Amino acid sequence: MASAVIETHGIAKQFGIRQAVDRVDLQVSQGEIYGLVGPSGAGKTTLIRMLCGLTRPTAGTASVFGSAIPKKKRAVEARVGYMPQEHAVYRDLTVAENLRFFGRIYGVLPGTISGRIDELLPMMRMSELRRQRADQLSGGEKQRLSLACALLHDPELLLLDEPTIGLDPALRIQFWDHFHALNRRGRTILLTTHYLEEAERCDRVGMMKLGRMIAEGTPAELKARVPRDGGEPSMEQVFIYVTGSDAPAADTEGAK
Amino acid sequence: MRAAKRVPQTMIRIGAVASRVLRQIWHDKRVVLFMFAVPTLAMILFGYSFSGNIQGVRLAVIDDDQTDLTASIIDNLQADDTFHVTTLSQDTKSPEDLLLHNGYQAVVRFPDKFTSLYYAHFAMGVATSAQGVIDLALDESDPQIAAAVQMGLANAVMDLGEGGPIKIETCELYGVSIRFIDSFAPAIMGLVVAFLCTVLTLLSVVKEKVDGTFARIWVSPVRRGEFILGYIAAFGLVALAQSVLVLVIGKVVFDVVINGSLFWAFASVILFAIGNVGLGTLLSSLAQTESQAILFFPLVLLPSVLLSGMMWPLQAIPWLLRPLSYIVPLTYSNRLLRAVMVKGLAPWQEPVGFAGVLVFVLLTIVTASLILRQSARE
Repeated sequence: MASAVIETHGIAKQFGIRQAVDRVDLQVSQGEIYGLVGPSGAGKTTLIRMLCGLTRPTAGTASVFGSAIPKKKRAVEARVGYMPQEHAVYRDLTVAENLRFFGRIYGVLPGTISGRIDELLPMMRMSELRRQRADQLSGGEKQRLSLACALLHDPELLLLDEPTIGLDPALRIQFWDHFHALNRRGRTILLTTHYLEEAERCDRVGMMKLGRMIAEGTPAELKARVPRDGGEPSMEQVFIYVTGSDAPAADTEGAK
Repeated sequence: MRAAKRVPQTMIRIGAVASRVLRQIWHDKRVVLFMFAVPTLAMILFGYSFSGNIQGVRLAVIDDDQTDLTASIIDNLQADDTFHVTTLSQDTKSPEDLLLHNGYQAVVRFPDKFTSLYYAHFAMGVATSAQGVIDLALDESDPQIAAAVQMGLANAVMDLGEGGPIKIETCELYGVSIRFIDSFAPAIMGLVVAFLCTVLTLLSVVKEKVDGTFARIWVSPVRRGEFILGYIAAFGLVALAQSVLVLVIGKVVFDVVINGSLFWAFASVILFAIGNVGLGTLLSSLAQTESQAILFFPLVLLPSVLLSGMMWPLQAIPWLLRPLSYIVPLTYSNRLLRAVMVKGLAPWQEPVGFAGVLVFVLLTIVTASLILRQSARE
């Protein structure tokens, strides 16, 4: 088995009386696309923020590339690309300026930055938007720019929080094509989504509800848990079966 | 793919943050306009409002004595721009009527025998109580005008020359006579830097939080110190540009006196700007949205204008409010910049102002750094 890039043991986070993440054990291997699915309030974002070192766990441990997070975050931060749920780009900078800035703070050489921008913009179908200010982009374009910013320093691990939220179906497919292309180049991806059909495209899936990891496995393994009465169950049916609740896709944009 | 070791990574990251902040400012032309319009307007408006010898006070003069002496005093009054003098005949209304119903702001009356009593004073020496008395009726609804009238009248009497009762010689400590505007220009520099650096940093950091770029920064290799230093570098440059603008307008339009070294003046302004970047970062922790951030603007501006000794001396501030003056950073910046620009001192030769600004810088930067650490982990 490939070495673990992400490992958590009993990781938990409490905000006041609310248990946002409740003793989650997670292991993501090198070169894997791991999807965290669940409705809003399931604890997906808090879990990903803890892995980034943005939120301190109240219990348990986490490590990325073998370094304890948040204590040894510095050792790994250049190897990680993070895309938050918000568009998280500088509205008053152009597309190229945003990319250049994120390249510089990650220590990418100026010449290499230009090369990466030339590489990423066509990949994101944004070549003609290079000099456009971010506040003049559509929602989908901002989302693509945000992903490009996370990719500029060519990280080995991508932590993507709801990367496809609010995108139209065609664009979501495009995003998933990018993820698979990155994955083929050996990149490890941990992403959150509440579109259950996207879970089908992950190597492994963790289903979360009320801060707890309810079920985990490959899409095939999870589907095998559902008693069959006819065809293959959808991921919605799997989710409803394992959590005993409505599928998260019903509460569409509420993930924030 | 990582940058070579020649330039330390930390310098690259500080430079990246600073140039990004400057680019953001540059892209928003309204902010650029605001940044340069505020110092220009502040200097011109405050300058014209306060360069301010009061002029054209409507003064009625009634001369019951009609002597050469009274004629000389009236001539002196007429030569003074402070007054628009109207000489009235002796059988006119009472001074109170003139003030209340005829639009005069002051009435001077030379009673008959004024001149003989005036000279009797000299002839008989100090042993006499005989004294020439000028009756002055004054509309005191505006204390500044009232003070200007009293001073103008005193000058007119003094200007009688060697025969006058008093001779005052003014020693010009700084080589030239200092006007209000001369000590006001350093205060404007401080005010503009305090307001704009605090407000722009506050808005910029809150925008980072709202847009989610803040989280991205903390996940990246950028350190809190590098983030703050990037902001300081950007706003230090902005403060320098604004100070140059204020000084150029001050010199060209108002011919303000700059006795000291420009180097120390700009160094002091930049030092003060650093503290204000810290203050803006601190305040940003109290605002979650840009509209909440706007609510802090009066909190920054009002105490600075009213309590810092910029408009009037600290001694004129009521004792109840005066302790607040000592916690307003602009109070110390005013002392420092006036010492450097007007008195021609080095910053450390004005220890209170210099220490006050240094303490302000240290307190805000250290606290801002701790607050950023907290915000990063929210």
